[in-house]
Amino acid sequence: MILTSLRVPVAEFTELTGWEPKPEGMCRGEVCVPAPGALDNGTVNVEAAAERLGMPLVHDPKHKVWALGVSTATGRALASARAIFPSSLIDGTSNTNSNFDFTSLRGRRMIMVAWASW
Amino acid sequence: MALDVNPDHARPWIAAANPSHPSLIDTTHCTDELFGFINVPMAVWIDENGMLVRPAETANIERSPLRDREIPDGLPDRLAKMMREVKEIPDDSESYREAIFDWMRNGADSPYVMSPDQVVDASRPISNDHARAAACFAMGEHLRRTVGHDAAVPWWREAHTLFPENWTYKRQAWTLVTTPEGATENDLIQGPNDVYDGNWLDDVVRLGGGKSYAVRPRFDRPER
Repeated sequence: MILTSLRVPVAEFTELTGWEPKPEGMCRGEVCVPAPGALDNGTVNVEAAAERLGMPLVHDPKHKVWALGVSTATGRALASARAIFPSSLIDGTSNTNSNFDFTSLRGRRMIMVAWASW
Repeated sequence: MALDVNPDHARPWIAAANPSHPSLIDTTHCTDELFGFINVPMAVWIDENGMLVRPAETANIERSPLRDREIPDGLPDRLAKMMREVKEIPDDSESYREAIFDWMRNGADSPYVMSPDQVVDASRPISNDHARAAACFAMGEHLRRTVGHDAAVPWWREAHTLFPENWTYKRQAWTLVTTPEGATENDLIQGPNDVYDGNWLDDVVRLGGGKSYAVRPRFDRPER
């Protein structure tokens, strides 16, 4: 997750990481991690959330940008079995770089296969 | 779903396949982190309720013809070594294909379907180094896109060091420096180069050879 500020709207943080601030802490699916200070005036305090969720935060001061790594809170690559469908994936059948809308697949079984041209 | 930072590298393959299913391109490799992909081809199964029922695992559905191809005499040494390592990669294509068919027929009653806890437990362990590698790769890709390729290199080198078992970070980066300018297809040999310390053959050998290259699907799970 790329950041130009360490205060991020809740919806954006949740969409990109799968972790959502709730009264019990930062939650992803059924997993919640206590995270005092992570929610600050309706935005996510990224440094606080990252520390609680075990998400490494790296910074490139020259370009004034941060990148947030994946959570290590559960010790497994998947914190929850609930799938997260990122809105940033491009529809490869179009040349317009339009994003793919996963709601078109709602209610269907799917196999997401990763391949590459390399 | 193609893991390609340049969508134009993936599109010709999609056009040639003319698929009837959705074909996506992940230009930031964000699904590496969301689903646990570390190589290709890998796949996850997702049920009608949006729940993963199998974690990221190698997803071949047919035996690669490279496995049965004889290594010709006189082939350059590195290429011959590569072919030997490729032949060592475990082949689970038949059982994986059968598992897919079973899931299509039986849905949640398929014995290959895992419970949510089993899926999480079966996903790979993640360390702080792995998570930092994800951040470094994302930073590199952002800078490649917004500043230029050279700005990505230090971050991608760091990602390779922190998480050497993640082949998507390495193969993606290598191919961008080993593919000759103007080539119509990416270089798949990904040999030694002046930009990165690693390359495909030497890294495969260093990490245990072809037999350790794939995340094999596990069908020996306990009953749900």
